[in-house]
Formats: sequence, structure tokens, C-alpha cells
Amino acid sequence: MIRALIAALFGLLLAAAPAFAETTLIRLGYPGVGADNRPFAYGNVVAVAHAGHFIEDEFADDPSVKIEWTFFRGAGPAVNEALAAGQLDFAAGLGDLPAIVGRANGLKTKWLLTDKVHDTIYLGVRPNSGIARIEDLQGRKLSQFKGTNLQIAADRVLAAHGLTERNARFINLDFANAVAALVAGDIDGSFGGVELLALRRRGIVDIAYTTKGDDPTFGRNASIYVTEAFEQAHPELVARVVRAFVKAARFADDETNRDAVFALWAKSGIPVEAFREDFAGETLAHRLTPLIDDYVVARYRDQARRSKDYGLVRKDVDIDGWIDRTYLDRALAELQLEHHWPRYDAAGIKVTDGEVEPTKAAAK
Amino acid sequence: MPVLLLVLWVVSAREGWLTEQILPEPRDVLQTARDYVASGELLADTAISLRRVSEGFAIGAAIGLVIGAAQGLSQGARAIVELPFFVISQVPVLGWLPLLILLVGIDEELKVIVIAWSAFVPVALNTAQGMRDVPRTLREVGQVLTFDPWSMLSRIIVPAALPSIFTGLREGLAHSWQTLVAVELFASSEGLGYLMSWGRQLFQLDIVVMALVVVGAIGLALNWTLGRVERRLRRWQVQTA
Repeated sequence: MIRALIAALFGLLLAAAPAFAETTLIRLGYPGVGADNRPFAYGNVVAVAHAGHFIEDEFADDPSVKIEWTFFRGAGPAVNEALAAGQLDFAAGLGDLPAIVGRANGLKTKWLLTDKVHDTIYLGVRPNSGIARIEDLQGRKLSQFKGTNLQIAADRVLAAHGLTERNARFINLDFANAVAALVAGDIDGSFGGVELLALRRRGIVDIAYTTKGDDPTFGRNASIYVTEAFEQAHPELVARVVRAFVKAARFADDETNRDAVFALWAKSGIPVEAFREDFAGETLAHRLTPLIDDYVVARYRDQARRSKDYGLVRKDVDIDGWIDRTYLDRALAELQLEHHWPRYDAAGIKVTDGEVEPTKAAAK
Repeated sequence: MPVLLLVLWVVSAREGWLTEQILPEPRDVLQTARDYVASGELLADTAISLRRVSEGFAIGAAIGLVIGAAQGLSQGARAIVELPFFVISQVPVLGWLPLLILLVGIDEELKVIVIAWSAFVPVALNTAQGMRDVPRTLREVGQVLTFDPWSMLSRIIVPAALPSIFTGLREGLAHSWQTLVAVELFASSEGLGYLMSWGRQLFQLDIVVMALVVVGAIGLALNWTLGRVERRLRRWQVQTA
């Protein structure tokens, strides 16, 4: 009886084995979570690709490919750890600083396409804290999630106002704990993104500063990377993943989709109104672009240099050798989107208009 | 054993068993340690951690000794204290963290309280146990010699309970030191635990390993010192007896 059972089990295993061997798992990691740890992103192309199932749809006709998304509450540093441990194939939406830190420490990845640029950062402060501008931060207690792209973006803002991290007390907290600490009055303020607008709507914080309308090179950037190992083993899969992300970017940029995009992002638990406010007076295409143009490259070079100056990395990071535009160019050609997005020069001045931009008029 | 581990580490780094991002080479760690010593950062962070531990441990051990002694000496005190004490000691100190944060915030007080708490429990437990277990015959000797309560305590009970008290102190100190690292990982801007989380977030595992070595070494030194104090006390106790 038992022998028969074991034989049957083996039979099953053998039958299942070939099907197993042919299945390829594509593991995507995202540096963040939504409100209350929801496994959803917001504010970028990757969030649209994920919540809109663009990657899954790309492989819908191919049952041998499985897609797995992981959202890391530990943000960029946690994604780097997972990459180092060989648990991810793609880092989707990884911020500029953690990506640079990973590369400086020998992570083998290729930079495939951009996820977002010009991401506005805000300084949220406790109401009645007396902080009305960056200069008021002198001697105050703030939280900061070290090692994320927010850190270096905040450092730049401080530097532009004659301050450094040493002028204020920066406490290392992740985003969720920072909100709790703000509510409890343990800290005076925190730099952050659109989630601070959601908190302001609830009267928890005031916004004392925003990079909106300030120097166009402020703000955060994020991109999409593949591990060299996966790229060498499955170049065709990489091409299809990149194409899916470009399709998602195409959808996300279209002003006629503005509400649909915000609705996808709102799955993260951050209300649509916050995104509306965040993007007020700004086109979607201003932030959501897959292009690795001169502007983005200049930002990464600049961030790499600053990271070294601030002691966040110890080596010079080569940016040019990191970029692999072959997949992006192929996807743009296949989808006939070569002229779809505007291109910016290193200083952030627009060089060519994108075909996407007139869609704004259509929406209004 | 330590030599064996070191050899294993060197070989593993050479052979690339673990990628350099996960386990950095000893040489890199040494270099990092040199830089951190030279810049004074390591010393500053160590000093802060030591201060937190000494404050927390002093408070926790003092309260633990008093409560433990009360439980060990008086039936009445034990009846009052035992149940709440038992309930408190069943929850690991880090389990109290969310509640404590709401009560005292995330500043220095939080760290000292949590460390004191972690020292308090073993000290109180072992002190009470040690005092309760003083052999009856010894107590009777005191009674025969018509000792007053103070002499009874200082000549008979404390010396007899000393090994147990010291076990509690040692355990308390070890707990304090471990708790320190855990509490500094969260919401701090300085200290050895902070250094570890900083190293982790910036993906510089050499900093993490360096901090680990320092934490381990200090733990060892503290334990050794306490052992010496205990031996000294016992010798003195034998001599006076």
C-alpha cells in the first residue's frame, strides 16, 4: 500500500517535472509599499505597469512565463539586499541613490529605462512647529530614511539653502514610522513625496517647502534595472518586459488617461486628490518618461558625485557603462514611439517636444 | 574557535562562497575600522552606546535588586509583587516598544527605559531566588548569634545569595547590551546599533561587521569585568568571615 503510494507520488513528480523545467519566473522587486503595507506603488510608470497588469498582459499568451512582484517596505536598501542575494531579476522603480549605492558596491545590473524624473519632494512639518521654510530647520528634529533617493534629494535642497544634514537632527526612520512619529509629535518634520499631501489633507502636517517651481534639477529620479545574469540568460524576456514598461509609460503619459492613472495609483491607499494636487499644473509626461536622456544621465552623474562627497559611497560610480539602451530603443521602434516623449538636456531645458504633449489640450 | 571562524571567513571571502555584498573581506572591514577610528566616529558612537547601557543598566539593576530583595525577604511583598512581575517578565522587552513609544516618545528616555527594563527582570528574578534559597541552617546560625536584621542581611543572606545575585547581574548586563543594539537600530541618529543600520541601508556591510565585532568585544569585556568583581567580592567575603 505504502509502496504503491510512493510510486504514485513519484509518477506524479515525473509527470510534473517537464512542465516545471519550462516555466520561467520573472521576479520584479519594487522599493516601497502603499499605505498600511499595501503591495501597490504610486507616482510612477512602474505603478501603472503593476496595477494595470502590463507585464502580465505582455506574457498572456505564454503560460511558461510567471511574473512575481515583491514590494519592499525597506525601500531601496532592501531591494539592493535582495538583488545581492540573487532573489530578484528586475529592480523596478529603484531610486537614484540606492541604485548608485548598489552599483558602487558591485551589484551587477544594467540600466534599461527610466521610471520617473522630476519627482517633487515636500517638507511636511508638524502644525505650529514654527517651520515655514528650509532655513527654519536649523537645530530641528527631522526623520529621514537613510539610503533612499529621498536622502540625497533632501540633502540637495538643504545645501541649496546653506544647510547640511548636520544642521538639523536627522533620525533614521522608515516612511511608515516617520508618519507615526510626526503624528505623535516626536519629530518636527520629514521630507517626503505625495504621501505628505495626503497627510496634509487630514490636517496632520503643513507643507513648508516643495521642490515644485524650484531648480528643475531638484527632485527624485528612479529607473528600471535588470541583473546581468538574467539579461544574459533571457535577452528575449528582457526585451518583452521593457516593451511592456514602455507601453505602460505610453498609457500613463496620455493626459486623456489622467484620472485612470490616478485611480491605478490610488490602489496604494493614497487618495486620488493627493495625486491631483501633486500633478497640478504639470503634465504627466514631465515626470513619467522611459527615456534615458541627457537630463537623466546628468542627474545620475551628479548624484554619484554628491554621494561620494557626502560619504554615502566610497568609489566613483561609472554611469555610462551602466546604461544599455538596446532594449529601450528596440521597444520604441517597435511601438513607433521614438518621438513620443520630450527630451531634456543636462540642465533640464527641453530640447525636443514630445508627441504626447498635445494630449493635454485634448483632455482640457 | 575564534581562529577557526576567522580562517573560514578569509577562505570564504577568497573563494567567493558568499558575494562581497553579503560578507565583505576581513581586509575591507579592517580598512573601514581604521577609517572610523581615525575619524573618531567609532569612538563617539561607542561612547554613546556605553553611556546608554550604563545608565539603563544602573537604573534597571538598582530597581531589580530592591524588588528582588523585597520578594526574597518578605512573604507579604512577594504576594503583592509576584503576579504583576510575572506578567511583565513574560513579554520580551521589545514587545513593549510600541506602547513605550507612545508614552515617552523616541528619544533618549525610550532607550534608557528599555535597557533598564531588560536588566531589571533577570536581576530581580535571581535576587529573589537567591535570597529565598538561603539555607535555613544559615539563618538559624544568625538567630543563635542574636543578629539584628541588618547584620542578618549583610552577614548571612547577602553573602549566601551573592552567586545568584551575580548571575542575575550578568544576565541583566548581557540583556542590556543586546537590547541596546536592537533599540538603536530603531529611530536613532548615533550609537553602535545606528552604525549597523546605517551600514545596512547604504549597503556597506563592512561597517555592519565592524560594529558587530565591537559590540561582541565590549560584551565580552563587560562580562569578564563583572566576573572579576564577583570573584573579588567572594574572596573578601571569605576573608571577613
